[in-house]
Amino acid sequence: MADASSRAVCRVEELPPGTVKIVPLGKFGIGVFNVDGQYYGLLNYCPHRGGPLCLGRVTGLVEAGTAPYEITWSRAGQFVRCPWHGIEFEIATGRSIALPAMAVRSYPVKVKDGFVVIEGA
Amino acid sequence: MSPQTQVRLDVVDAAVHPIVRRSDELREYMEEPWRSRVFPPPHRYLYPAPTGIPPYGEYREDSRSGGGLPGSDPDLLAAHLAACGADAAILLPLTRGLLPDTEMNTVICAATNDWLAATWLGEWNAGGRYFGSIRVNPEDAGGAVREIERWAQHPRMIQIAIPLESHQPYGQRQYFKVWEAAARHRLPVAIHTDGGAGVDFKPTAIGYPLHYIEYSVMYPLNFIYHLASLIAEGVFGRLPDVKFVFADGGHDLLMPLMWRMDMDWLYSRSETPWVTQMPSKYLRTHVRFCTSRFEIPGDPATVAEWTDMTDATELLLFATNYPHWSTMSPSDLLHGPTSDAGRRVLGGNANAWYNLDRAST
Repeated sequence: MADASSRAVCRVEELPPGTVKIVPLGKFGIGVFNVDGQYYGLLNYCPHRGGPLCLGRVTGLVEAGTAPYEITWSRAGQFVRCPWHGIEFEIATGRSIALPAMAVRSYPVKVKDGFVVIEGA
Repeated sequence: MSPQTQVRLDVVDAAVHPIVRRSDELREYMEEPWRSRVFPPPHRYLYPAPTGIPPYGEYREDSRSGGGLPGSDPDLLAAHLAACGADAAILLPLTRGLLPDTEMNTVICAATNDWLAATWLGEWNAGGRYFGSIRVNPEDAGGAVREIERWAQHPRMIQIAIPLESHQPYGQRQYFKVWEAAARHRLPVAIHTDGGAGVDFKPTAIGYPLHYIEYSVMYPLNFIYHLASLIAEGVFGRLPDVKFVFADGGHDLLMPLMWRMDMDWLYSRSETPWVTQMPSKYLRTHVRFCTSRFEIPGDPATVAEWTDMTDATELLLFATNYPHWSTMSPSDLLHGPTSDAGRRVLGGNANAWYNLDRAST
């Protein structure tokens, strides 16, 4: 690795779209997500109460429709819900849906030489 | 006061309950066959207050008219308002909550509105100090919307009035068209205890208390079911112009509920995605509470802190609940009536909430 803070996570084929791998970095670990071929890293520590966020269920976006009680579903696979209290975070940005100011720390992830590489960790 | 006098509205009594002079007076405002039908009288009460002189012990002594029922005499109400220094009163007649015959209930609401318009807002309102409430029966949503449309353009009708009693929490879908009509006409919806007719649910969620003190302490808790429902079902989120007034108190119970609701919303947002902000954020834009039945901290040193914590200066409207015995005066208010906070609660908030200055010109 050229950058001292870069860490190889795994080979690209070991992290297919829709999967997540928890990397034992730091005190809590970092979850590396493959969302439709884009890679994102989130600290495995929910900013709400410290739950292991990246072990949570990967989900989509629920929003209100135009009529009362109407619900829409979109962007499947782009969000993760903390397993402790269910707070939803956008994987790409680390921001929670409910309170955008509440965000989990995120890390850039790239592909180099066939490896998924997390940077800045 | 002549009709031309510009009414000053520094002090507004936001919940006054005018009562008919005789039990059968509403019949004069009904058509047959309703006019001849039996319906509960205006003073049926399952938990009468143990105060005063029978048969109307739950009413203030100074509201007892020589010839009519307590709360039926415009001179006595004028004297009450003068004693409070109040320039105006928002009249909210009660109609005995839920009746078994919901068609009859809609007719009673309509008769009440005709009566109020003809008397208190008409011949007795030369000074322009009275504003009225449109009584509707929310269990008959179609009838309620028709009644709102019938009165919305009346210059003195400034809000809609419904009972605290209901068969479902008010956020739920069968009421939505009523709130939609209220929002369309920019009319706040006032909720006030109105029980006594017999098909209301138990006064507390765990049954019937035995005595008045238990009823009076616990019954106002019912407001929280409606408030939580209005927020969670998205009524506030969908109707930016809808406003509710809890006209029988409850503000002192509000904050623990909102703390809990804010926290649980973080966890369950995806089940109610029409709630797009912290539930407590809807209070300032959509909810006010009357000060009747209002308790304050026992230690005066804690009043300011408590006021800040509960947003009382924004959310409270001064109201006496006349002619009921449980009442208050401006001197009972937080910080006293002459502070900035006191002035807002006494009249400023009501002026802004109801746009009274415009309504009174």
